[in-house]
Formats: sequence, C-alpha cells, structure tokens
Amino acid sequence: MSDTVFELKDVHYSYLGKFPALCGVNMTIRSGEKIAVIGANGTGKSTLLQLLDGLIFPDRGTVTAFGERLLEHSQDNEKAAHRFRQRVGLVFQNADIQLFCPSVREDIAFGPLQFGVAEDEVSRRILEVAEVLDIQHLLDRVPHQLSIGEKRRVAIASVLAIDPDVYLFDEPTAGLDPLTVRHIIDFIVNANQRGKTIITATHDLHIIGEIADTVYVFGRNKSIVRGGSSESVLNDRSLLESNNLIHMHRHHHDGREHVHQHLPLEPHD
Amino acid sequence: MTNPAHKKHDFIGRSVLSALAFLKDATLSEEYANRKGFLQSLDPRFKTISFLLFLVTVVSLKSIVLISPFYLLCLILALLSGIPLRNFLLRTLFFIPLFSLFIVLPTLFSIVTPGEPVWSFHVVGITGIITRPGLDGAVLFVVRIATSVSLVVLLSVTTRHSELLKVLRVFGIPQLFVLTVSMCYRYLYLFATMVENIFTAVKSRVGVVSHQRQGQNVVAWNIANTWNRTTQMSEEVYMAMISRGYTGEPRLLSKFHATPKDWLWLLCAVVICASLFYRGHTL
Repeated sequence: MSDTVFELKDVHYSYLGKFPALCGVNMTIRSGEKIAVIGANGTGKSTLLQLLDGLIFPDRGTVTAFGERLLEHSQDNEKAAHRFRQRVGLVFQNADIQLFCPSVREDIAFGPLQFGVAEDEVSRRILEVAEVLDIQHLLDRVPHQLSIGEKRRVAIASVLAIDPDVYLFDEPTAGLDPLTVRHIIDFIVNANQRGKTIITATHDLHIIGEIADTVYVFGRNKSIVRGGSSESVLNDRSLLESNNLIHMHRHHHDGREHVHQHLPLEPHD
Repeated sequence: MTNPAHKKHDFIGRSVLSALAFLKDATLSEEYANRKGFLQSLDPRFKTISFLLFLVTVVSLKSIVLISPFYLLCLILALLSGIPLRNFLLRTLFFIPLFSLFIVLPTLFSIVTPGEPVWSFHVVGITGIITRPGLDGAVLFVVRIATSVSLVVLLSVTTRHSELLKVLRVFGIPQLFVLTVSMCYRYLYLFATMVENIFTAVKSRVGVVSHQRQGQNVVAWNIANTWNRTTQMSEEVYMAMISRGYTGEPRLLSKFHATPKDWLWLLCAVVICASLFYRGHTL
C-alpha cells in the first residue's frame, strides 16, 4: 500500500545472538498515524525503535520502510542512507547520548549539516526550532549544564531541525516535571496534526490517550500481545495488569483500607 | 578516636573526589567566558590569532624590558574582561613560575653558567656561586613563562571551549579530529559525575571502608565499571550520530562573525608584536 511507512513481518532480534529482544513482531504503520508501543521494562520497545530507525537489523524476518526493504548494506550507500534518515528521526531515551556536541546550537545543527543543508539555512532552522521548543536561551549553553527537561527539549529540537516525516520517541516523558511533559505532549500532537507519523515507546499510560490513536502492547514474550485503539487497550484492565502496566494500589481512606487498580487519569472513591 | 585505616580510605575517596572537582572546575567551568567583557566580545578566530602572535613574540624576545609590556597588557586585558585580578595573579604568577624556577635553579650556578659572580655560599664544604648571566637567564625564563601562561590562561578563560575547538578548524585541523576532541570534552563531565556518584553510592552503602585492601578494590571496581559504561555509551552515541545522518565524514557548524573591532584588534596586535620584535632585534 502506498501510504504504508513501515511494515514488519515476523521480526526477530537478539543481542549478541543469545539474548532475545524481539520475537516474531508483525506490524504495519501508515503515514500520519499516531502509534504508541507500551510494555513493561525489557519487553523490546527501544529495540523496536532502533530497528525502525535502521540502526540495528533483524536476525530473522523483514522490515520494510517506505516500500523498500531496510537492509544493513543499503545503509552503506550515503545517498540511500541520507534519503532514509531525512525521513525518520529518533529521539533517544537518554538525552545525554543524543547531545554529543559541545554546544546546544551545534547539536541542533548536526543533523541538517550532515545532509548538506547550507549553513545559512541551518542557522535559520536553529532559530525556528528553538522558538518552537522555547529553548532560545539555551542555544549557546553546554549540554551537560542543562536540566533533564531542557536536555529532552534540545534532543527533540535536534531531530525537529531535520524535519523528518516520521518521529520515533523513546520514553519521551520519563523523569520529567508535569509542565515539560505537557510541552512534549503538545509538540507530539502538533507534529501529528502537521501530517507527521508518530511512534512513541512508553509505559506512561497517562499520556497514551493524547499521543496515540493505536496502541501495541508488548509482553514478556517480547512480541505484541495486543494491538488496537488506545481506548480499547486502556479499558482492558486484565491485559494491562498481566503486563505490569497497572498495579493494585493499597492505601487508607478515613481509617479504612482501600484497594483499587492504579489506572491512568481515573478518579476513584 | 579516628581509626588510621579510615583515614587511609578517606585519603582515596577524598583524592578521587578532589581530582574530579578540580577537573570540573578547571576545564569545564565557563564562568568568565560567559561574562561581558572586552576579550569575550572578540571573534574567537581573531582572538586566537592575536594571542598566538603575542606568544611567538614573547618566546622570541630575549629582554625582560621588552617582555614586561606583554605582562602589563595581560593585566589590562584581564581587568577589561571582568576577571578578578587576585584570581588571575594566583593562577598565573604563583604556581607555574614557581615550578619553572625549580627547573631553572641549576642554571643559576657557575657550574652550569659561568660568568661574573653575584653571590657565593658554603654548604657542607661545597661552594655554590650564583653568576650574573645565570641569574639574568633564570629571571628571563621565569618572566617569559609567567607571561606566556598569562596569555594562555586569558585566552582559555575568556573563550567558550566549544568556540576554541571551532577555531581549530580555521587552522585546517580535520573536522573528524575536532569532533572527536569536542566529544571527549563533552563526555568528560558526564563521566566525572558518574565516578563521583559511584563513590557516593559506595559510601552510602558501606560507610567508610575499614581496610585498605577494600579501598583498593573499590577503586579497581570503579575503574572497570566506568570502562564498561563508557564502552556501552560510545556505541549508543555512535548510533545517535548515524541516526542524524553521520556517514563517517562529519560536517560541523563553522560560522563566525568578524566585526571592524576584530580587525582593529588584530591590527593593534600586529603593530605591538612587530614593534617589540623589531626593537628586540635592534637592541
């Protein structure tokens, strides 16, 4: 299908050939979709994003991106690699990994410069993305001097400067304060409204409703145990509980013990 | 009463933590570079070239009288750039010239530098004679070192490290080399913090290690752990670079903005150096 961005068929991947990370993943992602990949720690979410970004390649099965099979040797061709990387951008979970340049400005410029964008245009983009993410005051700062929230926004800016068609977010809201979480959710929603495909790996169920229309749940067997609309998945409490995404919460109300499931944004007695 | 073994362990811990604190403070603090001042306002390329000119001239001059104006210039520039004179003098005038004095000490004596005696003394039957050429040479050496160190310190504290690295590219240093150095610099802080945290974590769990052997084990384990994490992180950083289009030939931002002030400064530097150089060779 022409609007298919990614198609995964029976994808298996293991680290060092002996530690399985993905086992038989099948998935089709279409242009403009908002997808969330949820699951407990160690279920293969980050590995999936790295596969989609062409950083690692499956041991078995196929990954097709924009109608072409994603192969390791195809990335050796600079033109082909650039064509793909200009269309797909990954925001890593650890911003310290993504921000490897000595200043924020150079980090944002790094991507476009590799693709041969002229310095004047790069300077224009830096100012533009800095304004979008409200980081103008950080441009000449050194990344290690920034707070976690600031680093995360700069990491997003470094990908936004490339302006890819597909954004891959790995735990974009982990460890952030509520206001920064709000900014990142708004950014994701706006990007999707501009026609960008969004794929987010997270176990933060509070944000799923806003950042995803479709949700895939990864289980301990390192494969998809269920996929569907965000509403249907979030309402399947037994599925969420069996996959460590919600838990039974015990506390006291007015001197009596109270036990309930801990669900995202759901009021209780 | 303090256990001597505790002191030994504290010695290891304190040494490591003090070294890390010094590293962070000395190489990664950009306190003065972020201030508003004369040197901070100059284009890093022009500033670096002018300071290189000063350095070459200072090294080539053989007269204290001619080198002294450069030291005076350093003090004026430090004042104009918002650097407290006390800190500047402590950093440039005390430690490094003191060490150079130790190096130059043997040349004071007639046995190394013969000439007109200035002062002689007797210690355990040995006669030491300090000569005028020896003394002149030693003073010239120390003044030259003090001035050169002052110039280098001024340049490094008033320029952001990222900009200094960028200037390397102007001198034709390959982009890959510059990128590698800048990444080392970038992650130095991160790993220093990591080592610091490991030490704090160890201390919080086991308190003060009571045996020296245990202390050595902690340090060895720390080194191995940092090495593992460094290797892992370098692989991930490489992935992050590839993800943003890196294919082996990095392209980096190299835009600078020169103003008439920068050209004027460079002109002044050339005039000062040329006139003192000329004077030094006609004396």
